[in-house]
Amino acid sequence: MMKELFPIKQVMGFVFSLVLTAVALAVYFLDMSFQLGMTILLVTAFIQAALQLVFFMHAGESNDKNAIYTNVYYAIAIALVTVFGTLLTLIWGYM
Amino acid sequence: MKLDKTGPLEYSTQQNQMNILGFWIFLGAEIMLFGTLFASYFTLENGVGNGPTGAEIFEIAPVIWETIILLTSSFTIGLAVHAMRINRKNATLTFLAITLVLGLAFLGIEIYEFTHYYHVGATLQTSAFTAILLTTLGTHGAHVTFGLFWGAFIFLQIKKRGFTPETTNKSFIFSLYWHFLDVVWIFIFSFIYLKGLM
Repeated sequence: MMKELFPIKQVMGFVFSLVLTAVALAVYFLDMSFQLGMTILLVTAFIQAALQLVFFMHAGESNDKNAIYTNVYYAIAIALVTVFGTLLTLIWGYM
Repeated sequence: MKLDKTGPLEYSTQQNQMNILGFWIFLGAEIMLFGTLFASYFTLENGVGNGPTGAEIFEIAPVIWETIILLTSSFTIGLAVHAMRINRKNATLTFLAITLVLGLAFLGIEIYEFTHYYHVGATLQTSAFTAILLTTLGTHGAHVTFGLFWGAFIFLQIKKRGFTPETTNKSFIFSLYWHFLDVVWIFIFSFIYLKGLM
Protein backbone atom coordinates (compact mmCIF):
# COMPACT_ATOMS: atom_id res chain seq x y z
CA MET A 1 0.00 0.00 0.00
CA MET A 2 2.86 2.39 0.82
CA LYS A 3 4.57 1.41 -2.39
CA GLU A 4 1.39 1.92 -4.33
CA LEU A 5 0.72 5.42 -3.04
CA PHE A 6 4.34 6.63 -2.89
CA PRO A 7 5.86 5.85 -6.31
CA ILE A 8 9.65 5.80 -6.22
CA LYS A 9 9.94 8.35 -9.02
CA GLN A 10 8.03 11.01 -7.08
CA VAL A 11 9.77 10.22 -3.78
CA MET A 12 13.16 10.52 -5.46
CA GLY A 13 12.08 13.78 -7.10
CA PHE A 14 11.09 15.14 -3.69
CA VAL A 15 14.32 14.03 -2.00
CA PHE A 16 16.35 15.49 -4.83
CA SER A 17 14.51 18.82 -4.56
CA LEU A 18 15.31 18.94 -0.82
CA VAL A 19 18.98 18.20 -1.56
CA LEU A 20 19.07 21.02 -4.13
CA THR A 21 17.55 23.38 -1.55
CA ALA A 22 20.24 22.38 0.95
CA VAL A 23 22.96 23.01 -1.65
CA ALA A 24 21.46 26.43 -2.44
CA LEU A 25 21.49 27.25 1.29
CA ALA A 26 25.27 26.80 1.29
CA VAL A 27 25.55 30.29 -0.22
CA TYR A 28 24.06 31.64 3.01
CA PHE A 29 25.82 29.45 5.56
CA LEU A 30 29.26 29.28 3.94
CA ASP A 31 31.58 32.12 3.11
CA MET A 32 32.01 32.49 -0.63
CA SER A 33 32.40 35.06 -3.37
CA PHE A 34 29.32 36.65 -4.96
CA GLN A 35 30.16 35.09 -8.34
CA LEU A 36 30.45 31.57 -6.95
CA GLY A 37 27.25 32.03 -4.94
CA MET A 38 25.28 33.22 -7.97
CA THR A 39 26.62 30.34 -10.06
CA ILE A 40 25.46 27.83 -7.46
CA LEU A 41 22.02 29.48 -7.24
CA LEU A 42 21.57 29.55 -11.02
CA VAL A 43 22.46 25.87 -11.31
CA THR A 44 20.30 24.67 -8.39
CA ALA A 45 17.28 26.82 -9.35
CA PHE A 46 17.17 25.71 -12.98
CA ILE A 47 17.69 22.02 -12.15
CA GLN A 48 14.96 22.33 -9.54
CA ALA A 49 12.58 23.89 -12.10
CA ALA A 50 13.33 21.18 -14.68
CA LEU A 51 12.74 18.54 -12.01
CA GLN A 52 9.25 19.85 -11.26
CA LEU A 53 8.43 20.10 -14.95
CA VAL A 54 9.39 16.55 -15.86
CA PHE A 55 8.83 14.55 -12.66
CA PHE A 56 5.76 16.24 -11.23
CA MET A 57 4.05 18.07 -14.07
CA HIS A 58 4.16 15.10 -16.45
CA ALA A 59 5.13 17.47 -19.26
CA GLY A 60 6.18 14.73 -21.68
CA GLU A 61 3.44 12.14 -21.35
CA SER A 62 0.62 13.27 -23.66
CA ASN A 63 0.19 13.35 -27.45
CA ASP A 64 0.69 17.10 -27.57
CA LYS A 65 3.98 17.00 -25.69
CA ASN A 66 5.74 18.82 -28.53
CA ALA A 67 3.27 21.69 -28.34
CA ILE A 68 3.65 21.80 -24.54
CA TYR A 69 7.45 21.82 -24.63
CA THR A 70 7.58 24.37 -27.46
CA ASN A 71 5.28 26.64 -25.49
CA VAL A 72 7.31 26.27 -22.28
CA TYR A 73 10.65 26.87 -24.04
CA TYR A 74 9.18 29.91 -25.78
CA ALA A 75 7.93 31.31 -22.46
CA ILE A 76 11.28 30.69 -20.76
CA ALA A 77 13.12 32.32 -23.69
CA ILE A 78 10.91 35.42 -23.45
CA ALA A 79 11.37 35.56 -19.66
CA LEU A 80 15.17 35.24 -19.95
CA VAL A 81 15.35 37.88 -22.68
CA THR A 82 13.21 40.16 -20.51
CA VAL A 83 15.38 39.67 -17.43
CA PHE A 84 18.82 39.76 -19.07
CA GLY A 85 17.82 42.39 -21.64
CA THR A 86 16.66 44.62 -18.80
CA LEU A 87 19.88 44.04 -16.85
CA LEU A 88 21.95 44.77 -19.96
CA THR A 89 20.18 47.99 -20.93
CA LEU A 90 19.48 49.39 -17.45
CA ILE A 91 22.25 48.09 -15.17
CA TRP A 92 25.27 46.45 -16.78
CA GLY A 93 25.56 49.05 -19.54
CA TYR A 94 26.27 51.72 -16.94
CA MET A 95 28.71 49.89 -14.70
CA MET B 1 -18.64 12.21 -25.86
CA LYS B 2 -15.87 9.95 -27.08
CA LEU B 3 -13.87 8.40 -24.28
CA ASP B 4 -10.29 7.38 -24.88
CA LYS B 5 -9.63 4.57 -22.39
CA THR B 6 -5.95 4.13 -23.21
CA GLY B 7 -4.59 7.01 -21.12
CA PRO B 8 -5.45 8.50 -17.74
CA LEU B 9 -9.04 9.70 -17.26
CA GLU B 10 -8.01 13.38 -17.24
CA TYR B 11 -6.93 13.05 -20.89
CA SER B 12 -9.91 10.94 -21.96
CA THR B 13 -11.79 13.45 -24.13
CA GLN B 14 -10.70 15.89 -26.80
CA GLN B 15 -11.99 18.70 -24.58
CA ASN B 16 -9.87 17.44 -21.69
CA GLN B 17 -6.71 17.38 -23.79
CA MET B 18 -7.40 20.89 -25.04
CA ASN B 19 -8.00 22.09 -21.46
CA ILE B 20 -4.61 20.78 -20.39
CA LEU B 21 -2.83 22.24 -23.41
CA GLY B 22 -4.63 25.54 -22.87
CA PHE B 23 -3.53 25.61 -19.26
CA TRP B 24 0.08 25.07 -20.30
CA ILE B 25 -0.22 28.10 -22.58
CA PHE B 26 -1.57 30.07 -19.62
CA LEU B 27 1.42 28.92 -17.55
CA GLY B 28 3.67 30.17 -20.37
CA ALA B 29 2.12 33.61 -19.92
CA GLU B 30 2.63 33.30 -16.16
CA ILE B 31 6.34 32.53 -16.69
CA MET B 32 6.61 35.77 -18.68
CA LEU B 33 4.67 37.69 -16.00
CA PHE B 34 7.10 36.60 -13.30
CA GLY B 35 9.96 37.27 -15.74
CA THR B 36 8.94 40.94 -15.88
CA LEU B 37 8.67 41.05 -12.07
CA PHE B 38 12.17 39.62 -11.68
CA ALA B 39 13.52 42.02 -14.31
CA SER B 40 12.02 44.93 -12.34
CA TYR B 41 13.32 43.52 -9.08
CA PHE B 42 16.92 43.24 -10.33
CA THR B 43 16.69 46.77 -11.71
CA LEU B 44 15.30 48.33 -8.55
CA GLU B 45 16.84 46.24 -5.75
CA ASN B 46 19.64 48.74 -5.10
CA GLY B 47 17.27 51.71 -4.96
CA VAL B 48 16.87 51.58 -1.20
CA GLY B 49 16.90 55.34 -0.55
CA ASN B 50 16.53 55.94 3.18
CA GLY B 51 14.83 52.57 3.64
CA PRO B 52 16.31 49.23 4.69
CA THR B 53 18.24 46.88 2.40
CA GLY B 54 17.31 43.26 1.81
CA ALA B 55 20.11 42.01 4.04
CA GLU B 56 18.71 44.13 6.90
CA ILE B 57 15.12 42.88 6.76
CA PHE B 58 15.26 39.30 5.39
CA GLU B 59 15.05 36.53 7.99
CA ILE B 60 16.44 33.15 6.97
CA ALA B 61 14.41 30.88 9.30
CA PRO B 62 10.89 31.72 8.00
CA VAL B 63 12.18 31.56 4.42
CA ILE B 64 13.60 28.06 4.94
CA TRP B 65 10.29 26.95 6.45
CA GLU B 66 8.33 28.44 3.57
CA THR B 67 10.56 26.62 1.09
CA ILE B 68 10.30 23.23 2.79
CA ILE B 69 6.54 23.59 3.22
CA LEU B 70 5.95 24.53 -0.40
CA LEU B 71 8.27 21.80 -1.72
CA THR B 72 6.42 19.24 0.40
CA SER B 73 3.04 20.50 -0.80
CA SER B 74 4.25 20.18 -4.40
CA PHE B 75 5.18 16.57 -3.57
CA THR B 76 1.80 15.79 -1.97
CA ILE B 77 -0.21 17.23 -4.89
CA GLY B 78 1.90 15.01 -7.16
CA LEU B 79 0.94 12.06 -4.95
CA ALA B 80 -2.71 13.12 -5.16
CA VAL B 81 -2.59 12.93 -8.97
CA HIS B 82 -0.85 9.56 -8.75
CA ALA B 83 -3.51 8.24 -6.35
CA MET B 84 -6.18 9.59 -8.70
CA ARG B 85 -4.69 7.62 -11.58
CA ILE B 86 -4.86 4.36 -9.65
CA ASN B 87 -8.44 5.20 -8.70
CA ARG B 88 -7.91 5.73 -4.96
CA LYS B 89 -10.43 8.37 -4.02
CA ASN B 90 -9.74 8.59 -0.28
CA ALA B 91 -5.99 8.74 -0.78
CA THR B 92 -6.45 11.47 -3.40
CA LEU B 93 -8.61 13.51 -1.04
CA THR B 94 -6.14 13.02 1.81
CA PHE B 95 -3.16 14.15 -0.25
CA LEU B 96 -5.15 17.10 -1.61
CA ALA B 97 -6.16 18.09 1.94
CA ILE B 98 -2.51 17.88 3.11
CA THR B 99 -1.51 20.05 0.15
CA LEU B 100 -4.05 22.70 1.08
CA VAL B 101 -3.10 22.67 4.77
CA LEU B 102 0.56 23.13 3.79
CA GLY B 103 -0.46 25.95 1.45
CA LEU B 104 -2.29 27.60 4.31
CA ALA B 105 0.79 27.23 6.54
CA PHE B 106 2.93 28.81 3.84
CA LEU B 107 0.54 31.71 3.58
CA GLY B 108 0.52 32.12 7.37
CA ILE B 109 4.31 32.47 7.42
CA GLU B 110 4.20 34.90 4.51
CA ILE B 111 1.64 37.05 6.33
CA TYR B 112 3.90 37.01 9.41
CA GLU B 113 6.76 38.09 7.14
CA PHE B 114 4.76 40.97 5.69
CA THR B 115 3.82 42.25 9.16
CA HIS B 116 7.50 41.97 10.12
CA TYR B 117 8.43 44.13 7.11
CA TYR B 118 5.78 46.64 8.09
CA HIS B 119 7.13 46.84 11.65
CA VAL B 120 10.71 47.40 10.52
CA GLY B 121 9.54 50.20 8.22
CA ALA B 122 9.56 48.43 4.85
CA THR B 123 6.24 49.27 3.22
CA LEU B 124 5.08 49.59 -0.37
CA GLN B 125 5.90 53.31 -0.28
CA THR B 126 9.29 53.18 1.45
CA SER B 127 11.64 52.76 -1.51
CA ALA B 128 11.90 51.35 -5.02
CA PHE B 129 13.40 48.21 -3.46
CA THR B 130 10.61 47.59 -0.94
CA ALA B 131 7.95 48.40 -3.55
CA ILE B 132 9.18 45.80 -6.06
CA LEU B 133 9.96 43.31 -3.26
CA LEU B 134 6.42 43.44 -1.87
CA THR B 135 4.90 43.47 -5.38
CA THR B 136 6.82 40.35 -6.41
CA LEU B 137 6.20 38.46 -3.15
CA GLY B 138 2.60 39.66 -3.12
CA THR B 139 1.93 38.47 -6.67
CA HIS B 140 3.17 35.00 -5.73
CA GLY B 141 1.24 35.06 -2.43
CA ALA B 142 -1.95 36.12 -4.24
CA HIS B 143 -1.53 33.16 -6.58
CA VAL B 144 -1.19 30.82 -3.59
CA THR B 145 -4.28 32.35 -1.96
CA PHE B 146 -6.26 31.88 -5.17
CA GLY B 147 -4.97 28.29 -5.38
CA LEU B 148 -6.23 27.52 -1.88
CA PHE B 149 -9.81 28.41 -2.82
CA TRP B 150 -9.50 26.60 -6.16
CA GLY B 151 -8.13 23.47 -4.47
CA ALA B 152 -10.84 23.52 -1.82
CA PHE B 153 -13.55 23.54 -4.49
CA ILE B 154 -11.86 20.68 -6.33
CA PHE B 155 -11.75 18.74 -3.06
CA LEU B 156 -15.52 19.17 -2.67
CA GLN B 157 -16.18 18.18 -6.28
CA ILE B 158 -14.18 14.94 -6.04
CA LYS B 159 -15.83 14.15 -2.72
CA LYS B 160 -19.29 14.65 -4.18
CA ARG B 161 -18.93 13.33 -7.75
CA GLY B 162 -15.97 10.96 -7.55
CA PHE B 163 -13.60 10.55 -10.48
CA THR B 164 -15.16 11.63 -13.78
CA PRO B 165 -13.47 12.96 -16.93
CA GLU B 166 -14.35 16.44 -15.63
CA THR B 167 -13.19 16.17 -12.00
CA THR B 168 -9.94 14.37 -12.87
CA ASN B 169 -9.20 16.95 -15.56
CA LYS B 170 -9.77 19.81 -13.12
CA SER B 171 -7.61 18.13 -10.48
CA PHE B 172 -4.77 17.54 -12.90
CA ILE B 173 -4.86 21.16 -14.08
CA PHE B 174 -4.89 22.33 -10.47
CA SER B 175 -1.81 20.19 -9.81
CA LEU B 176 -0.03 21.91 -12.74
CA TYR B 177 -0.85 25.29 -11.22
CA TRP B 178 0.39 24.25 -7.79
CA HIS B 179 3.68 22.85 -9.11
CA PHE B 180 4.16 26.05 -11.07
CA LEU B 181 3.81 28.15 -7.88
CA ASP B 182 6.50 25.99 -6.32
CA VAL B 183 8.81 26.66 -9.29
CA VAL B 184 8.25 30.41 -8.95
CA TRP B 185 9.00 30.19 -5.25
CA ILE B 186 12.32 28.44 -5.95
CA PHE B 187 13.34 31.49 -7.99
CA ILE B 188 12.14 33.90 -5.30
CA PHE B 189 13.99 31.86 -2.66
CA SER B 190 17.21 31.82 -4.70
CA PHE B 191 17.34 35.22 -6.38
CA ILE B 192 15.56 37.43 -3.90
CA TYR B 193 16.26 35.97 -0.45
CA LEU B 194 19.51 34.04 -0.76
CA LYS B 195 21.03 36.58 -3.17
CA GLY B 196 19.99 39.39 -0.80
CA LEU B 197 21.45 37.65 2.23
CA MET B 198 24.68 36.55 0.56
